[in-house]
Amino acid sequence: MINRSLAERRSDKVIECDINGQPISLDVPPTRRLLTILRDDLQMTGTKVSCEIGRCGACMVLVDGQQVNSCLTMAYQCEGKKITTIEGLSQAEIDPIQQCFLEEGGYQCGYCTPGMIISVKALLSHNPEPSTEDIEEALSGNLCRCTGYGGIVRSVQKAVQLRRDSS
Amino acid sequence: MALNKTTSGGRWRIRPDGPEKVTGKLAYLTDMSRDGMLVGRVLRSPHPHAGIVSIHTEKAKRIPGVHAVITHADIPGMNRFGIVNPDQPVLCEDRVRYIGDAVAAVAAETPEIAAQALESIEVEYVVLPVVDDPVKAQTKQAPKLHPGGNVLHRNQYGYGEVTSGFAGCTHIVEETYLTPRQMHTYMETEGGLFIPEEGGRLTVYSPTQHGYKDRMQLARILGLPEFNIRVVSSPIGGSFGGKDELNVQPYGALLALVTGRPVKIHNSRWESVRAGLKRHPMRIAMKTGVDDSGRILAHQVSIVADTGAYATLGAEVLNFAIEHVTGPYRYDSVEVEGVSVYTNNGVSGEFRGFGGNQAIFALEGQMDRLAEKLGQDPWEFRLMNMRKPEDPGPLGQTIVRTDGAMQVWKSLAGSSMWLDRQDRITDNPWLRKGTGAAFVMHGSGLGFGIPDPAGGMLALAEDGKIEAIFGYEEFGQGLIATLELMLIEQFGFGTEDIRIVIGDTDLVPHSGSSTASRATSMMWKSLQKLRGPFLDRMLDEASKLLSLPTESLRVGTGGIWNRSGEHLLLTYGQLAQGVQEEIRFQTHFPFPASPTKRIGAHYLYTYSAVAVEVEVNVLTGRVKVLKQYHAVAAGPVMNPQGFLGQIEGGSGMAVGFALSEDSVMDSGVYLTRNLDTYMIPTYTDLNGEIEVHAIEDLPEDDEHGPRGVGEIGSVGVAPAIAAAVYHATGKRISKLPIDPESLQEVPDFLVKAVSRP
Ligand code: FES
Ligand code: FES
Repeated sequence: MINRSLAERRSDKVIECDINGQPISLDVPPTRRLLTILRDDLQMTGTKVSCEIGRCGACMVLVDGQQVNSCLTMAYQCEGKKITTIEGLSQAEIDPIQQCFLEEGGYQCGYCTPGMIISVKALLSHNPEPSTEDIEEALSGNLCRCTGYGGIVRSVQKAVQLRRDSS
Repeated sequence: MALNKTTSGGRWRIRPDGPEKVTGKLAYLTDMSRDGMLVGRVLRSPHPHAGIVSIHTEKAKRIPGVHAVITHADIPGMNRFGIVNPDQPVLCEDRVRYIGDAVAAVAAETPEIAAQALESIEVEYVVLPVVDDPVKAQTKQAPKLHPGGNVLHRNQYGYGEVTSGFAGCTHIVEETYLTPRQMHTYMETEGGLFIPEEGGRLTVYSPTQHGYKDRMQLARILGLPEFNIRVVSSPIGGSFGGKDELNVQPYGALLALVTGRPVKIHNSRWESVRAGLKRHPMRIAMKTGVDDSGRILAHQVSIVADTGAYATLGAEVLNFAIEHVTGPYRYDSVEVEGVSVYTNNGVSGEFRGFGGNQAIFALEGQMDRLAEKLGQDPWEFRLMNMRKPEDPGPLGQTIVRTDGAMQVWKSLAGSSMWLDRQDRITDNPWLRKGTGAAFVMHGSGLGFGIPDPAGGMLALAEDGKIEAIFGYEEFGQGLIATLELMLIEQFGFGTEDIRIVIGDTDLVPHSGSSTASRATSMMWKSLQKLRGPFLDRMLDEASKLLSLPTESLRVGTGGIWNRSGEHLLLTYGQLAQGVQEEIRFQTHFPFPASPTKRIGAHYLYTYSAVAVEVEVNVLTGRVKVLKQYHAVAAGPVMNPQGFLGQIEGGSGMAVGFALSEDSVMDSGVYLTRNLDTYMIPTYTDLNGEIEVHAIEDLPEDDEHGPRGVGEIGSVGVAPAIAAAVYHATGKRISKLPIDPESLQEVPDFLVKAVSRP
C-alpha cells in the first residue's frame, strides 16, 4: 500500500543534485525523466534521445561515474547525485577520449556520439586496461547506425593506448 | 593499397563539424526550441485499412492549453505529397491505408496536453479487409487501394530469346529470394521546428535530403508561394534515404501557420517506425542457365516489390532493381520483369542502395549456385562471364567506360583473405568458418529522363571568407569535410579561409538532391567548372589593387601571394574590401546522363568486390562476421575518412540486412515497434576486421572524376555473407535475414553423448 503522507512529502520536495559540477535544485515531479529534465527543462541538448526504452544509449550520462540511460532515470533517483553529461566532459578542455574520436573519425552524423563517449568514459575510469570483452560489454548498449563501428573501435583502442602511454 | 588513417597521411583530417559533434555542442534541428513554442503531435490511424466515417475534434479543442486541432479540412493547398507521384494524403479524408496514416494533428502547450488532445479526437472508422500480400494484392478479389488498382508500376527489360537459351543449357538454377522490410533506423528520429515569421513567411528547420524539394512540396500543401518558405535542413542525425520524402514537415508547417506560434515536433521511435519509410521487401524469382563451359545462356527474373500504401519513389526503386539484377555480367539472353504493388504494409521507399541490395543478393546467389553445379571456383566463374569495359550497361545503354569491374575482381582475387580461405573446421566442433564473395556494379545519379540538376556557387564574402555554397545536405557522410578538402587541395586555400554554406534554401543555389551517391561527384564537377573563372577573377582584382601583373601572383593560404610564395601580398579580407563588384560565380548543369533514351538508365557506375569471413555457431545458429574485404573502384578518393566511413557504415547496415533486421508485420500491423525488437548491429556484431581498398585509376580521357560511394558499401555484403555461410555449413540461403534456426545442428559429440547407453 502507498504511504500517502510519504508520497505527498516526496512530491513537494525539491530535488538537489549536481550537474556538471553545478549544484542544482530541481522543482519537478519526482517521476520526471532525467532525459526530459536535461533536454527540455535545462536545454542541455548534448544528451540525445532516440528510443526512450534503454536500448540505444543516445541518452547516456554519468551518475556518480556510472553509465546510466537518462531515459530510464527518474528525477528522484538523482537526489544527491553527481551527474555528468557530455557538456560536462569538456568544460575546461576537450577530454582525451573526445580527441581520440576526432582523430580517428569515430562518428559520422554524430547523434550517437555523446552517449558513446560517455560510455567509453565510464569504462576507462573504472578499467584502464579493458579487454575486448570489457569494451564489448561497456558499449553493448550504445547503438550507432552510421559508422558500422569501425571508427569507434579505432577511437576506443586509441583512447586505451593513450591512457597506457600517459600512465 | 588499403585505405586507412596511416595510408592517407595528411589527407586524414579532423572534420570541420567534428569538435561540435564530440562535445555535444552541435544543435541538431530537433534540438532547437523557441520561447512560446508549442508541441505538435500527429494522430495516426490505428488500422492498416479503414474507411473514415467521421472525425470530431471539438472535445480536443476545448482542452485548456490546446491551440489547434487540424484535419484535412484545414489544408489550404493540395492535400497530397510524394516526391514524384503525390498520392499520399497529408491528412486522410475518407480512408486510411496504413497503420501510420495521419488523420489529425494538434498543437498544445505541453507534450502531456498534446497527448491528451490526441486521445480526445473522436474518429469513427469502418475497418476494411487488409491487403498484406503483394502477390494476392494483384488478384481480382483484392480490395483496390487506389483508383488505378493495386499496381503502382510495372516494367521489364530483355534481349535475346531465353526459351531457346534455356534449351541449350547444361545446368539451370532456379531460386526465389526474399528480402526483409529493413528500417533506416537513423538515430535521430524525424522532427523539427516550424516558425511563422514576419510578413507571412515560414521557416522550416527540419532534416531532409533535398531542401528545395521539401519547399516545393510544402508550398503545394500550404498554398503559399515557394519563396515564402525557408527550409533549413542540415545538420541531420542520419537519413540513409529515410528522410528524403516529407515526414513531419507538413504537420509542423500547418500547425505553425494556424497558431501563429513556433511549433516543435519530434517523433518518438514508435511513431518513426509506424509512419516512416522502409526498404521494399522483394520476392525475386530467378532462373539462370549455363552451357557446359560455364557461359551464361539465359537469365530470367521476376520481381515483386511490396511498396506499401503510397508511391513515394516505389516506381524508381523497382526500375533500379530491374537495372541491377543482371550485374557486371554478359548473357546471351535476358528477360526481366518487375511489378511494384500497393499493400497496407506501411510505406516502402528510398533507402541506401535503392533496390540494388535486393537485386544483387539474388543475382550473386545465382552465380554461386551455378559455379557449384559446374564444379568451378565461384570467383573464376564470375571472371568468365564478366562484362567487358566497352560493353553497354545493364539496360543496353551507353555507359561511361572504366575498367572498374576487372580492377575490383583482381583486387579480391589477389587478397590474402580470398587466397587463404579458411577451412570450415575450427577447434570448436560447433563453430564453422567460411568465406564468400560478391561482385557489384552500382549506378549513381537519378538516371535518364529524371530531372537531375547539379551545381553550386563560390563567392568571396565581405569579411574575406571564401564561401562554397551548395544545396547539399550533411547527414553524417562528411560532405562538409569533403568540400573543405577539395577547396584546400584544388584551390590552395587554407582551412581558415573557407566557409561552407549548405542546407538553407534562402542561401543556397539549386544543386539537386543529396541522394543516389551523387553529391561528391557533383561538388567535384562544380568546383572544376568554377575554379578557372573564380581564381582568374581573384587574381585580376588583386593585380589591380596591387598594381602587379597577374602572372606574378597566386592564391594561397590567407590571401594572394607572390608567385614563388614567399610573401603574402593581400589578405582575402583586403581583397574583399577592395573589389568594386562582388566576386561570385555560379554553375549549373545536369548530372551526366546516358545518351540512350531509357528511363532511369544510369551512365556512371561504381564497382566493388566484397569478401567476408564468417563464423557460424551451429548450436545457436548465429552468424558472426569476422573479416571483410572491400575493393571499390570509384575514381579518385576525395576524402579518405569519408570514403572509408561510407564503406564501413554501408557494410554495417548490410550485415543487419543479412542477419538481424526485419520490421515484422502481421496483417499490416508492426510487431517490431522499437529497438528492443528491431535489431540493428551492435559494437560486438561489427568489431571484426575490415579492409577497404580504393582503386582510383580511371581511363586517361575520363572527365567525370570521383564516383559515388554512398551506397555501394551496403550492396555486396549480404550475398557475400550468404556465400560464406554456405561455405561454412553447406546450407544455401535464399531468405534474409538469415534465420538462425535454419543453421542449427545437433553436433556429433552431443549425439554420441546422448546415444551412449
Ligand atoms: S533514448 Fe535512452 S537508451 Fe535510447
Ligand atoms: S554517427 Fe550517426 S549514429 Fe553514430
